[in-house]
Amino acid sequence: MTGAGHVLGVPCDAAPFLKVRKNRKFMGPQDELAVAAAGRALVSADRHQAPLGEGAGLYMAVGYLPFEQEHLDQLLQSSVDAAGSFAPERFAREAFTSLNPLLTFRCLSNMPAFHVSVNFDVQGPYLVSYPGAGQLYLALEEAVEALRARRVDVALVCGVAYQGNALVAHHFSRLGPAGSLAPLVDAAGCLVLERADSAGARARARLLELGSEYAPFHPFETRVEGEERATGAALPAGALGPASLPVFVSLGLGAELRHEVRTADGLHGWSAWGPA
Amino acid sequence: MERVGTGVTRRVAVTGMGVVTPIGQTVESYARALQEGRSGGGPITLFDPADLPTRIAAEVPWTGPILRDRKVTFALEAARQALEGRRPPGVGGLSLGIGLELFSMDDLAARARAGFVPPTTLAERLTFLQTPSDLCVHLISQRHDLRAPPLTHVSACAAGTDAIGSAFRLVASGRRDWVLAGGADSMINPLGVAGFARIGATTSANDAPQRASRPFDRRRDGFLLGEGAAFVLLEPLEGARARGAHVHAEIAGYGSSFDACGISEPHPEGRGAYQAMSRALAEARITPEEIDSVNAHGTSTPKNDPVETLALKRLLGPRAREVPVSATKSMIGHLISAAGAAEAVAAILGLQGGWVHPTINLEEPDPACDLDYVPGRFRAHRQRHVLSTSFAFGGQNAAIVLRSADA
Repeated sequence: MTGAGHVLGVPCDAAPFLKVRKNRKFMGPQDELAVAAAGRALVSADRHQAPLGEGAGLYMAVGYLPFEQEHLDQLLQSSVDAAGSFAPERFAREAFTSLNPLLTFRCLSNMPAFHVSVNFDVQGPYLVSYPGAGQLYLALEEAVEALRARRVDVALVCGVAYQGNALVAHHFSRLGPAGSLAPLVDAAGCLVLERADSAGARARARLLELGSEYAPFHPFETRVEGEERATGAALPAGALGPASLPVFVSLGLGAELRHEVRTADGLHGWSAWGPA
Repeated sequence: MERVGTGVTRRVAVTGMGVVTPIGQTVESYARALQEGRSGGGPITLFDPADLPTRIAAEVPWTGPILRDRKVTFALEAARQALEGRRPPGVGGLSLGIGLELFSMDDLAARARAGFVPPTTLAERLTFLQTPSDLCVHLISQRHDLRAPPLTHVSACAAGTDAIGSAFRLVASGRRDWVLAGGADSMINPLGVAGFARIGATTSANDAPQRASRPFDRRRDGFLLGEGAAFVLLEPLEGARARGAHVHAEIAGYGSSFDACGISEPHPEGRGAYQAMSRALAEARITPEEIDSVNAHGTSTPKNDPVETLALKRLLGPRAREVPVSATKSMIGHLISAAGAAEAVAAILGLQGGWVHPTINLEEPDPACDLDYVPGRFRAHRQRHVLSTSFAFGGQNAAIVLRSADA
């Protein structure tokens, strides 16, 4: 690993890393988080000066679909009849025209990957996955495999979760009684991985161990408890979703680190990191 | 010169297929409909589109019981078809391209009404207002006891091809014994249709739904939204032959790329599309001269089709006009995250049967689209290698090379 970066909380300012400023209007908080974390990681890796190009791949896990309460309210107010029921005619006439078309782009789960690719000129292969920390582990495995197979020279492994919004809060609230879950945190983290031979003196850490496993479950009948443990550095407070591993590694950069997560989607991932 | 990865050590066979599409809900009926050039387009019946600019879609004529989120039902059925009676030995995995989380306007309105009582059971709670898309993953994995960690792909319109491509790599590199790979999507709901119409992506040819999807035609005006699911069962070729499994085809290579350009428009020269296709050919260790047909992304949008044509011309060189290029979306519409998987199955059916399906509704070719798109009628055509492509909003491009089982 040659660099790591993270962002905790919104608003965050991705402006220093925006090479294509006209795309700012398309960016929601999740996109800003992803670009800021990737930018900080690339600065940390000293890979921020030149475009990354064809030799760079992006391996990203994004959180559940974000949607703001104000947009839900706007949608509702212009879509219901006098009795409060959904009214297709009003929806087609009023909600359709009043909604900002940019919302469509902000709802697509692949948009954080788009914004990272366009601002850092990533033209190589990718994996864009969803929705939790377990899938981030699988993205990390794909990145490592791509480096080993020499399909890429640089792999950005990013996790991003914008969770302080109505729809994500709704999702998590139904998984358990109020107050039983860790507070949701808006976060993004990014790790820059390169092969040891090309990283040379820029190497900041080494990936020592990486694994994952899965136990199938019926989501309508079973609720899987999540658990996260780490040694070598403090875990950030709260639930960071797919950003948890890269944020933890970024915070503990240079130390002997071990991270293990069991997620509500049945995945179990673990990794160990050592100094370069 | 594309780099050739070293991670592919085993040949990978397709030994099972399953589909739920607007024109066929079994592999056999899908093959017939493709050959006949049947359109799945029609007026939207799943909800009242009122005066939305787009009031047509390609719906799956599903008559059985259905879960609230239609894509889950489609995914379960297509997965069953692909796997039932064909399960390979070892630990199975899943690689799934999935669409956006279903968002219900009726639930949004219900929640705001006085006296609203939230649902109580876990199943009701999980499908109220917004249904997380990863439900599909766990329901399929649980039903078929798939114990390898499942990969999800949310690369939008490229997700189905990415799911198959990455599953190919997992099997080819020996990291998985076998993988069920595909995609599932249904966005034919008020927010899905309105969202795409709001950005001008969908057709508004409401008076002629069966003629609305017309890839490469001068009069195309946007894509016809479809829905469905498709899966392929991937396992090592050697093992498949040893156990006497029927091999439909091989997956020979996969490539992906970012355009790193516009959010809704492709790179003007098709750079990313070309890179993804080149990488797939490099991994398959074949030259462009060995491509016998192309299953195109072919969305019927003004922006995609000419740029895809440019990229194919660059890839195929002087042979570009000799290679048949079919657009399955002309018949099934755009299945978004399931598109690449349904189109891969279409390509495999043609590869097996020695035919290429038509691009229907191509009557007035766009001068900027000047390849052989197989207009109107299917054609007998023996093939060894087919290239199948998907290109997403946000500039994610994916391509796979399919090889005949006889090659």
